[in-house]
Amino acid sequence: MDGAPAFQPPAIVVERLRKDYGRLRAVDGVSFQVRRGEIYALLGPNGAGKTTTVEILEGHRKPTSGSVRVLGFDPGAGGRHFRERIGIVLQSGGVDAELTVREMVGLYASFYAQPRDVAATIEQVGLAGKRRARVRTLSGGQLRRLDLALALVGGPEVLFLDEPTTGFDPNARRDAWEMIAGLRHYGTTILLTSHYLDEVQRLADRVGVMSHGHLVEESTPDALGGRDIAGTLVSFRLPAALRAAELPAGPWDQPENRDGDITMHTDEPTRVLFALTKWAVGQGVELEGLTVARPSLEDAYLRITDDASTGGRGGR
Amino acid sequence: MAADVTRRSRPGPLLTLGQVRYQLLLLLRSPLGFFITLVIPLLLLVSLNVVHPSAAAAGAAGRLRYAQFLTPAVSAFCLLNACYVTTVTSMVLAREEGILKRLRGTPLPAWTYLGGRSGSALVISLVSVAIIIVTGVSFFHVTILWQAMGYFAAAAGLGIMCFFLLGVAVTTAVPKSDTALPVAYGTVLPLAFISDVFFSSVHAPHWLYDLASAFPVAPVARAMEAAFNPATHSWPMPASGLFVVLGWSAAAAVAIALAFRWEPGPIRWHLG
Repeated sequence: MDGAPAFQPPAIVVERLRKDYGRLRAVDGVSFQVRRGEIYALLGPNGAGKTTTVEILEGHRKPTSGSVRVLGFDPGAGGRHFRERIGIVLQSGGVDAELTVREMVGLYASFYAQPRDVAATIEQVGLAGKRRARVRTLSGGQLRRLDLALALVGGPEVLFLDEPTTGFDPNARRDAWEMIAGLRHYGTTILLTSHYLDEVQRLADRVGVMSHGHLVEESTPDALGGRDIAGTLVSFRLPAALRAAELPAGPWDQPENRDGDITMHTDEPTRVLFALTKWAVGQGVELEGLTVARPSLEDAYLRITDDASTGGRGGR
Repeated sequence: MAADVTRRSRPGPLLTLGQVRYQLLLLLRSPLGFFITLVIPLLLLVSLNVVHPSAAAAGAAGRLRYAQFLTPAVSAFCLLNACYVTTVTSMVLAREEGILKRLRGTPLPAWTYLGGRSGSALVISLVSVAIIIVTGVSFFHVTILWQAMGYFAAAAGLGIMCFFLLGVAVTTAVPKSDTALPVAYGTVLPLAFISDVFFSSVHAPHWLYDLASAFPVAPVARAMEAAFNPATHSWPMPASGLFVVLGWSAAAAVAIALAFRWEPGPIRWHLG
């Protein structure tokens, strides 16, 4: 992480973590580290083991085997001193409906020796206008903001965010992203789980992909699945008057043709575009929907999880 | 790898007081909690006195005016509502809605949470019992026997402790919030009816009297009632009754240690 002193030990260390529920293996030999001040995202389909992993790191569950350390603590045995230094946004955590936002955040602030300012925290999550509102009157998005406020008010060094923007509308999600990204200024280490790939792309310094209890890939969002070095995709709609067979030879492999939607994979997009547009101009046709793109994070993620699913790995 | 930096924590007693305030605030804003702890006992006191205005109740220490019997009896019912029913319903709701799980992720120690719960149960008990006694004295000519109020307070204290522990213990066996209230009243009301809470059971069949005596409600209620009886001159709870109350309290404490959980879902034993 840029700016983090090199001598600091990792905030989170997970080594060969395994968790069984009876005969079901939810997490199987997962190892990773999260550096201080880093935002690390765990991605994966439902049942991949993300939430189990995070709940072990939070101290809510005990591992079957393996080792986990958060800020040097064993989360299951760290007690109050450990929990003074972390914040948790649960995937689904309850709040007292009859308290006001101010009362809720104030109550949680009272648990910590060095809390953040209550009013500033409420302001930070965008609920200043609702501070006197009863919790039961908040919308789904506002409740998630309150979740964030409750996790932040203790001034955590490590923040666990389990799908923090689920239920947000697009504007609220972007606001939340800005808020989470702003925590970098405090040096907060963040472990994030999410289904939203754009969220991971926007926020995470590194991403680990989990599938069937395994960590199947770990990378930066830009390099996930090798997409930083993968070929470029050139796509367009074939004019109705032409057939795919009429496309000229060029610096590309066999194009994919899906009902006239042509996709070309190439490592030389400039030459491909030059050849293609020269040919189109010569034919007097317009290439509708002409785009040049690298494989998206979604493409890489789907390929990784598909590969893991078909790789014959058992368990959850 | 050792923990690198340790932050100091807030003192436990301060956190406990904060929890007392928090639980009281929740109760005051909960129509159901307010109704259970304050309105129902008052309704019972008034309605039963209206139905039986001149009836006499046969207590263990002699015959009494019904109001003189009913006022401490309903006070015992107040303790059941404040410490047992309210604890069962509100704690199961808090657990199943994920409130307890969220609290578990904070530095709040478990003992301060339970301490806050018990403190708020104590405050609610004192307030509701005070309302009942003031109402009995003001409207039904109940006489307070000041020399026996120590017995009354001691018996009530035992009841508060026992009923609260039983309430927390029962939450471990209640899987869903919508079953909490039926379970709470389904266990309390039958016991209350056979345990001198609404009517004296001196003339009840021996087996029923003995059955009630095996549970903690009867010893507590009978001792509180005796403290309002002029014939009482010594500690009114027999050793067997004290043994029953303490035994149930200890059993409840063991159940809490073995099965209390912060997360929603069915019972899970902590057996190793």
